[in-house]
Amino acid sequence: MGFWERLLKIDRKIIFIVMAVLVLFPLLKPLGLGVGSGPRAKAVFDAVDSIPPGKTLLISVDFDPASMPELYPMLVALMRHAFARDVRVLLCGLWITGAGLADKAVTEIAPEYGKEYGRDVVYLGWKAGVDAVILGMGENIKNVFSVDYYGHPLDSLPMMQEVTRLRDIPFMVAISAGTPGFSDWLLYGHSRYGLRVGAGVTAVSAADAYPYLQTGQLTGLLAGMKGAAEYEVLVQRHNYSKAYMPAVAAMDSQSLAHIVILVLVVIGNIAFFVTRKRGR
Amino acid sequence: MRRTLPLAICLIMGIVMMVQFFVPHPISVGFYDLTTKWIRIVSAFALVLGVGSLILYHIDRLQRKRPGWAYSIVTLIALVGTAITGLGWGVKPGAPLQEIIFKNILVPLNASMFAILAFYMASAAYRAFRARTKEAALLLIAAFLVMLGMVPVGAAIWGKLPDVAEWILSVPNMAAKRAILFGVALGAIATSLKVILGIERGWLGGGK
Repeated sequence: MGFWERLLKIDRKIIFIVMAVLVLFPLLKPLGLGVGSGPRAKAVFDAVDSIPPGKTLLISVDFDPASMPELYPMLVALMRHAFARDVRVLLCGLWITGAGLADKAVTEIAPEYGKEYGRDVVYLGWKAGVDAVILGMGENIKNVFSVDYYGHPLDSLPMMQEVTRLRDIPFMVAISAGTPGFSDWLLYGHSRYGLRVGAGVTAVSAADAYPYLQTGQLTGLLAGMKGAAEYEVLVQRHNYSKAYMPAVAAMDSQSLAHIVILVLVVIGNIAFFVTRKRGR
Repeated sequence: MRRTLPLAICLIMGIVMMVQFFVPHPISVGFYDLTTKWIRIVSAFALVLGVGSLILYHIDRLQRKRPGWAYSIVTLIALVGTAITGLGWGVKPGAPLQEIIFKNILVPLNASMFAILAFYMASAAYRAFRARTKEAALLLIAAFLVMLGMVPVGAAIWGKLPDVAEWILSVPNMAAKRAILFGVALGAIATSLKVILGIERGWLGGGK
């Protein structure tokens, strides 16, 4: 068996080890490749930045722990941005598995800015039904969520006296790992109630969002870890936060992981064509 | 009668809801509000049906000792255990459902599943991503440019690479996605009309 044949039959454990080393290395010793800010992330940032203080940003937490490394930094950066500008934050979710993640963000981020639960931030929780939930929230949020995630009646929360339906919300970001997600907010929230929607999605599903960006249905897009990192950079650049930026830190690892895959594809193709030519 | 009544309800509600969308009168809006409540109630029944169907499917697998039947035991134990924990101690923060099942079981399992994808993707890309045809070569080049353009190292290699990746996503990708979306939407409209008009009756289930 020649060199190229052996290369084609390389033990996958070697590939796994190379990948593991190159992903871990930048986490221990950052390469400092730097992250800019793309127009899609800037559009989301500008939309949140234009919400008047005292008004509400709605964030739909539509992801599970599997997508946490990509999407959770978006949630945290969005909340920090809103709180720094005294914008209130209303959270809800279309994914049951996202409930604990939203709770974590509420309990960890709000105290950083001295924000009070019920006055500056409310987490509605999760309800089954997707389209029925969004349509119901369009008519009256209390019809869908009579109590919040923690069991407080919505009538007892000062913030919810001013936010009664989707039309009271100037902008929302749906952080989605799939379906249900931003497309449902567009279908029912945007088209029916004129809700302005931005999206945060995993890198693999970013391609699905582009048709909605061009039509203007989506105000902006945070695509994958890169989108999260861009938003973190924007938030820090405007002095809204000085906290650690997990997505920016992870971008070096992602860069090397992409390089590994590309190099492997090139080697695999060269080996394939060389062995095929010899076979003829 | 068992088939006629559901068909009649479907026809009437289908037409009424279509017309309702274009009528902003308070009666119309009130009716719409009422129907959204009905949807939530019907969704709750669907959940019961779904759980029942899941249990029956896995019991059947166990009885017939189908390949991988042991996983059905895990599924059923997880289902019953989660239900008992949730119904017994509630779903509020601090309850066992949150502290044990979500934080200590679901989060690490879910994160581990997704994390190992990177390794399998690298291995699969090495073995399967071949430029065997012109179309495959085109796909390979596009994937190459987008993968590099979406990470900071791409911009470090060539400053215009992120713009090229953005162009691929916002022009050829979007055109293809839009075509698929239009196809799906037209298909959904056609199917909806067939259901409303009683041409498509699969949703009624079997029997006479």
